[in-house]
Amino acid sequence: MTPDLIYGLTGIAVFAIGLVGALCAQDRLRRVLALKLCSVGAGFLLVVGAWRTPSAAPDPVPHALVITGIVVMVSATAVALALIRRLKSLEAEDDD
Amino acid sequence: MMIDPLTLSIFVPLFGAILTFVFPRVATVSALLAVLGTCGAVFVLALKILAAGEVLVPLGGWAPPLGITLRADGLSVAMLAMTALVGLLVSLGALESLRDLRQRQYFWPLWLLLLTGMNGVYLSTDLFNLYVMIEVIALGAVGLTVLSGTREAVRAGLEYMYASILGALLFLMGVGFIYLQIGRLDFAGLIAAEASGATSAALALMVVGLLLKTALFPLHFWLPAAHANATAPASALLSGLVVKAALYIFLRLSTYMPLPDETLVTLIGALGAGAVLWGGVQALRTERLKLLVAWSTVVQIGLIFIAFARAGQAGLTESWKAAAVLILAHGMAKAAMFLAAGRIKDEVGHDRIADLDKSEIRPTLAQFTFAIAAISLIGLPPSLGFIGKWSLMEGAMAAGYWHWVAVTMIGTLMSVAYFSRVFAGFLRFDRMRGELSEHKGWALADVAPLTLAAAAISLGLMAAPILSFIELGYPFGAAP
Amino acid sequence: MSDPFLLFDLLLAGAVIALAIATLTVRDLFAAIILFVIFGLLSALAWVRLSAPDVALAEAAIGTGVTGALLLKTLHHLRYVTGSLGTNAVESLSPVQPVPAGVSWANAAFCGLITLGLATAFLGAPHAGPGLEGLVAEAMPASGVSHPVTGVLLNFRAYDTLMEVVVLLAAVIAVWQIERGLSDAPAPALGEVWEGFARLTLPAIIVVGTYLLWKGSEAPGGAFQGGAVLAAVGLMLLLSRLYVPRPAHRAVARWAFVLGTGVFAGVALLVASGGRVAFEYPLEHAKTLILLIEGLVTISIAVTLAALFHGREPVAVPAERGDNDA
Repeated sequence: MTPDLIYGLTGIAVFAIGLVGALCAQDRLRRVLALKLCSVGAGFLLVVGAWRTPSAAPDPVPHALVITGIVVMVSATAVALALIRRLKSLEAEDDD
Repeated sequence: MMIDPLTLSIFVPLFGAILTFVFPRVATVSALLAVLGTCGAVFVLALKILAAGEVLVPLGGWAPPLGITLRADGLSVAMLAMTALVGLLVSLGALESLRDLRQRQYFWPLWLLLLTGMNGVYLSTDLFNLYVMIEVIALGAVGLTVLSGTREAVRAGLEYMYASILGALLFLMGVGFIYLQIGRLDFAGLIAAEASGATSAALALMVVGLLLKTALFPLHFWLPAAHANATAPASALLSGLVVKAALYIFLRLSTYMPLPDETLVTLIGALGAGAVLWGGVQALRTERLKLLVAWSTVVQIGLIFIAFARAGQAGLTESWKAAAVLILAHGMAKAAMFLAAGRIKDEVGHDRIADLDKSEIRPTLAQFTFAIAAISLIGLPPSLGFIGKWSLMEGAMAAGYWHWVAVTMIGTLMSVAYFSRVFAGFLRFDRMRGELSEHKGWALADVAPLTLAAAAISLGLMAAPILSFIELGYPFGAAP
Repeated sequence: MSDPFLLFDLLLAGAVIALAIATLTVRDLFAAIILFVIFGLLSALAWVRLSAPDVALAEAAIGTGVTGALLLKTLHHLRYVTGSLGTNAVESLSPVQPVPAGVSWANAAFCGLITLGLATAFLGAPHAGPGLEGLVAEAMPASGVSHPVTGVLLNFRAYDTLMEVVVLLAAVIAVWQIERGLSDAPAPALGEVWEGFARLTLPAIIVVGTYLLWKGSEAPGGAFQGGAVLAAVGLMLLLSRLYVPRPAHRAVARWAFVLGTGVFAGVALLVASGGRVAFEYPLEHAKTLILLIEGLVTISIAVTLAALFHGREPVAVPAERGDNDA
């Protein structure tokens, strides 16, 4: 049981949990949370791919990729949330 | 002072987007200049490809797998050229149809960012770079989907956003598995990789993600509402261009990471058949014109996948050409049709198919455009759509896969049927008494879709040079 | 098996998974967001353990901090719009079309199968396997920076990073577009203590952000982490109402959004027009160029993230008469 094994499986589990949530969640906000879980799961996998036995330095390329991925994900999340806010306002207007 | 045309075809629209966003007052002019500049860069690139076959640009001077290399060959330049042509004409059409000032102010930067992303996809040779590019496309596309700001559009845009993010994340997870297995992300590395559990998992994740993004049945659920509720120029870009980016990546991947067995190729073809039949039924039932056009996109995407699978695994070295021709044909014809549908809706005031013939106004030119675009989508000669469908059926027959021929024939009949519903609405049976005013004058908004539709038809006459062009640089043979 | 870290790893992994499940199953949405934030921080901790401090910093600051703030703001808006601002627990404020239970179970079972497949594939993949660290180490002397992750981000894969900033730009344009003309929910009041705290901590945060940026060329840190920390300044300014965006600020904001992208892309093209390819910085100027790009990208990231939090474009809402520019 090395850390890469433990956290690699953790990442896959988190990705799968997010996937279930993205497909089954009954609330718009929670779907965004689920998708965010998926992205963290993918991040785990890449970080694990960069890990080397403690004496060696890790591979910097996946680290850079995950940082990029995090920024991309926050952008997408912001747009999804803006859509949720706008849609709720429009729905509330129509109900009045 | 010579910057290579690959870099330019990505950076020119990018700078265009920045300028249109920072200087909204001159947005239209700078946007048109940027699109024209992109067309110029693609043209120069096409000449280079004709001479050299393929062009490589190792960005930063770092060769892969450390750096990212841009690569152009016949197929990628054909996609770039189609994108540039459709983009230019849709931009011209948008000049008139986007009357709302605020809509226009946001249309240009979003569309130019979208163009940046698509050109980036067609030139990329790196998996992670493709992930970033499809996100650029996704955000631009969702922004365009909700441009009209109506409740339906925002709701459809949100569904589209969920599907887009999920598709991209599935792709990213696949990228993670690839890196785990081979420690690099460039296409050359993919080709050299031996098949293993991790590469199969990666391929499965990436393909499902891409199919979700390109809306292959049954993952098409987000598409009809998104494409039908957007404003006309946005619909034209979304349906004509955006879904093609994921399709293109799929075509590339299927060559660099061969699908492990025949069943999968058949499955993909079967999903395509499902799209053709289900989309056809929905197009026959829908009451609104733009929704019908959107369902026709679902059908056409299915058709492209049937073309891909037409001769099974052994036939893939030839089948991709049929798929590529259908992609090009659909891009032009569908953009033309959405623009025309938008014109009809604008002039008639609604897009209920049943009441199209009750209108006081006849948008003759738009109706004519719609009809020619339909010729290419149905696949009548001499259109480019016909060439694509013909080569699909020819390949299927040669391989003895008659079921694909049968599905294609049924799909064709259905498309005749659902487009006829619209044509019937164009003809007047004097249900409307009183003055009949014809649309007068040649508006720019009419010329643009008409040109596109005419191109979709007439390029069918140039099928042979197009087919030999997309083979330049051996997109599907030698290593990149 | 005698590794003292083993127990820690197992506990942390278990906590991460449990929190992920709890985020999706807890009834109250506010609780779900808080659980998500804890989940993100623990994930970042796990990444520190996997010797990825840069990634951990970015995840904590952006993936968890900024994302959490965005989620809370949205929840606040939904509560305001639905008139449930004062009430306590809310299970759902924006239900989607209900998925039939059967479909849900089928999906869950499907996902279970996928997990098994992925786990098998993962166990079969090489461990501590092939990578690019050798190539990176070889090329570092020619990169102009000394921290490998910064070298990858701003030199070897600078094109990706440029496009990532483009994604951020696309996001802010899209958000402005989506929320145009939307009136905002009144910002939650911070209270006096918080405001005082905000005033006191702002300078400190700015210093930390700048330090992270500066350290980025040789140690963990860099434009994204620095930008996120500076964005926190923006969030506090917005929340404490020390800064209120006005229509007249739009032009400046637009420039700030595009600054990083524009200079990044401009330098790339400039280099390309000098007979090299894009992003091929001449070695003698590489450090200067990268620092310049990183600094401006940091500013753009900070302003953009803060703007994403604020949401709608600041326009004069009631007296809107077709204005199209600041």
